[in-house]
Amino acid sequence: MMNLPVLDDITKILFVLVLATAALIITVRTLSSLFNVYSIQSWFIAAVAFVLYLKNSSVVLLLLAILTVASKSFLVPFVMRRIQKSMHIKRDLEFRYLTPIGSILVGTAMIFLVYWSFSQFLPTLSSDELFFPGAVIGVSLALMGMMVIFTRKRMITKIIGYLTMENGVLLFSLFIAELPFIIELLIVIDLVMLIILATVLAFGIDSSIDEFHTKLNSFTLWFKE
Amino acid sequence: MSFIIYALLNTTFVILISPLFVSLIKKVKAYTQGRQGPPLLQTYYSLLKLLKKETVYSDNTSLIIRITPYINIVCVIVASLSVPIVYIPGMVGGFGNIILFLYLLVFAKFFMALAGLDAGSAFGGMGSSREMTVSAVIEPVIIIVFAALGLLLKTTNLYEMFRTSLQSSLFINPSTLLISLSLFIILIVETARIPVDNPETHLELTMIHEAMILEYSGPNLALMEMSHAVKQTILMAVLINILIPWGLTSAPSVLTVSISIITFIAKGAILAIAVGVFESMFAKSRLFRLPNLFMLAFFFSFSTILFELLK
Repeated sequence: MMNLPVLDDITKILFVLVLATAALIITVRTLSSLFNVYSIQSWFIAAVAFVLYLKNSSVVLLLLAILTVASKSFLVPFVMRRIQKSMHIKRDLEFRYLTPIGSILVGTAMIFLVYWSFSQFLPTLSSDELFFPGAVIGVSLALMGMMVIFTRKRMITKIIGYLTMENGVLLFSLFIAELPFIIELLIVIDLVMLIILATVLAFGIDSSIDEFHTKLNSFTLWFKE
Repeated sequence: MSFIIYALLNTTFVILISPLFVSLIKKVKAYTQGRQGPPLLQTYYSLLKLLKKETVYSDNTSLIIRITPYINIVCVIVASLSVPIVYIPGMVGGFGNIILFLYLLVFAKFFMALAGLDAGSAFGGMGSSREMTVSAVIEPVIIIVFAALGLLLKTTNLYEMFRTSLQSSLFINPSTLLISLSLFIILIVETARIPVDNPETHLELTMIHEAMILEYSGPNLALMEMSHAVKQTILMAVLINILIPWGLTSAPSVLTVSISIITFIAKGAILAIAVGVFESMFAKSRLFRLPNLFMLAFFFSFSTILFELLK
């Protein structure tokens, strides 16, 4: 167990970088750079887990870091890139409700809201210095992921939104010893994602939700007796 | 007395080094495009050549276009006194105040836009109109960025800011990283680079900065180019001295000053290369997409404020 102040500072720098990637995920339009940003964000979160492992020497954290790197930095972006290749679109330019500028503004307001509401009770819960910023940034990241889901029209960017949300939940749970509810939420999100992935793969990934129904309707004949 | 020495040293250094960074960025861009590019001293040659040429004014112009080059160069050079590069002097009067610093830069820009309108050509007017549109959006962001910087380093004086960042490190203030991203975006916007403006083009559809200085010739053009280069150097210096102030000194002696000059040239060269690479990576974006970039700077500076609250 190491208790160097440097580790805390490194974690803070990683928080800053995670926040920067979150802003990029909201604004980037080119799909390949979006995947790259997601991959980099996962690297940072894995690094947070690794630094926490150095600090607490709990093996679970190390496993978590390895798992994050393996799945989110390599596997998921790899699969996403393959999907993108098959669907012949390079950029996502369609937005709903909010343009990226609006999203950034709302995102900023949201972070402050999360900060304000957490500052009411969180500092009393734990004496760990990193607990509060970790929780605030984790939850804001999850909310920003949610914003990506409802502002983007293309399915593939919505998936990145879900994944960002999951990253946020992961970051939040890193700083809390036991939180079964969060893990449950994580699994639910994963399930939803899995279902969406499956349906999307089946019914044409290049569609937006509005076109989805018409595409789905063409299959109804199959199910009629 | 010591301030006069500082002023002479700093101003001379800034004026001498500025064209080098301009050429370096051009060189990097040329390399990424697979060209040889102009020699590193080309900007010096061009400025000298321009200084030898005669000045031509349009018959329709007024006093404004005649005084603007001088106002511009004076404003940026006075602003450059607020950004210590050779060493950090003691506090003198209003120098180093960020509000004064920003207002001087905006004052120069205001006269440049006015002079763009002066000749009555369509290009100049378009350039001024675009420049003011972009400014109207970026100025509030710049104010927020410098406010965040002030909150982070607990002062509104640039000398004090650099002194604080020299004593602390990235580890003590991790949010300097975020604010540096904002400052980088401001650097790109204020020096009229891609994706905001294309410094190479003279195509009427895209140019902003170049359109305003189309009417100048001879020594006046040299002064405008020079003030643009100096502005770029001081904005680079703000970024460098906030993020990586190593080498800068607040105890001047021959040795420490030469160290800080050499380290600044090295750091400035790295930043110039970064700017060149950044410029090569992007295409110029549409005018209405620009607020997107500014909002990123806004977001980063607000996050800095948040981090300050979280401490």
